[in-house]
Amino acid sequence: MFQTQHGAALYTHLAGAAVVSVILFFALTLVPTKLRRPLIMGVTFAAGLFYALEFFWPVSGPEGDQKNFLTAYIKPFSDITTVLQSFALGLGVYSLVSIHMRKVARSQSGWAYSLVLILSMIVMVIAHIGKEYIKSPWIQQLNEFAYSGLMKSLDATMFSIIAFYIVSAAYRAFRIRSTEATILLVSAAIIMLGQVAIGQAITNGIPNEGLTANFRVENLANWILKKVNSPAIMAIDFGLGVGGLATALRLWLSLERGSYFEEEL
Amino acid sequence: MNHATWPARVILIVISAVIVWTVIAAQRGKKLFIRRIPGLTAIEEAVGRAVEMGRGILLSSGLGGIDVVTLQALAICTNIASAAARYGTKVQMPIYEAALLPIAEDAISSAYNKAGRGDAFSSDDVRYLSNQQFAYAAGVAGMIQREQYAATFLFGTFFAESLIMAENANMVGAIQVAGTPSTTQIPFFIASCDYVIIGDEYYAATAYLTRQPTLLGSMIGQDRVKIGILFVVVLGFLLTLGKLPLVKNLFEDKDMPAASYFSPAKGGK
Repeated sequence: MFQTQHGAALYTHLAGAAVVSVILFFALTLVPTKLRRPLIMGVTFAAGLFYALEFFWPVSGPEGDQKNFLTAYIKPFSDITTVLQSFALGLGVYSLVSIHMRKVARSQSGWAYSLVLILSMIVMVIAHIGKEYIKSPWIQQLNEFAYSGLMKSLDATMFSIIAFYIVSAAYRAFRIRSTEATILLVSAAIIMLGQVAIGQAITNGIPNEGLTANFRVENLANWILKKVNSPAIMAIDFGLGVGGLATALRLWLSLERGSYFEEEL
Repeated sequence: MNHATWPARVILIVISAVIVWTVIAAQRGKKLFIRRIPGLTAIEEAVGRAVEMGRGILLSSGLGGIDVVTLQALAICTNIASAAARYGTKVQMPIYEAALLPIAEDAISSAYNKAGRGDAFSSDDVRYLSNQQFAYAAGVAGMIQREQYAATFLFGTFFAESLIMAENANMVGAIQVAGTPSTTQIPFFIASCDYVIIGDEYYAATAYLTRQPTLLGSMIGQDRVKIGILFVVVLGFLLTLGKLPLVKNLFEDKDMPAASYFSPAKGGK
């Protein structure tokens, strides 16, 4: 059932999947309002139970490739999730296009930017899909220009802006306003100096052996990173792990729904 | 593929049972206390400021897909949207993951309805931007500069784009509250935002804001689990000092014969 298909079998499976999806979609719209909540709860529970059982069920086989009777279905189930999510991409594109088309149609402020966005989308779709099917060099060049020439460069530009934002954010954070800000400033200064050769040169005269070695700037920086920073991060991760588990349990058992979708159950 | 070892099965089932039990006890009316969390109190302050200034609020659920972290971010954002709608303040939410769009739209529209301002909700206010990291960041930065928000709330999974968004909001003088489980981004938020929700406070936010029994119970359950694990850590430390690494063995990646869990450490390390 979940094997890769080719040729006519592929198209038969695709047609079958489309028919089943349409029937399922209409069947879901016919479900009475009263039954919708139990239905969602049931599906959520069943989906979660599959992954929980696969994780907890005893496994057998050679080390590194241990499986149980559910392991083989993990990939098909992940694929189903991917397919469901890809349906939503259409909704995203519709949202984006409708907002910007309206802006252009009504000549609202900044309509030219909206027009550029719509045109860029059209060009990118033609270039990216076209390169797979049209062997003409112009489509390959268009794709190269749109993807590598424009999009990747724009991405890199946005990324490089972060360097300037780091400076402005650090300036505000490191101003001595409180005890905490002072500790932050001193630790940041030690770590920065410990990472660069010019910083390490300051304490180069201190012997790197015995008790005095602790006062070399690179050792101080290392100590802050390994003995102060790492345990703090681990403690944060620890709390987050338990919090994540509790939230996942509430979602799985449909206890969470009351918090934002509907009234408290 | 990862699978549970026997100790992991027992530990996870015990932890889950404690959390679910506390949730059920809270739902049955048990009174639970929750301490004041400054970062979460700031949410109300930021909404109030936006109302006073008559400018909008930006909500971002970060770069996550439909997962626990993003759904928690959505829960927080929904509560903020509800408070903002009550006072007639506009809320906008750019979305990174298309699959999240209908869920976010439904949640924010429900928040408006809950506040009795369903008519004020516009589907354009929850909009999909891009599923490219820096395209999304550029889009959010553009929205911040154009709309001049009074407050921005950044909750969810963030990566390098966090600083682009936070610094742009700072440029327009917005009060900023951020919370993320991405520990590598916490320092950037601390440097650029007014208030940051750290660690498990992120998962406590909805309980703190709504005081709903289910969420309060879950939070108290988490605290009990953490106390239990802390006890195990101390016990593990003491047992390892006595060259009996029982706790360390329990967390090994593979199952061992039962007797091996109690075998003394070799080499004295």
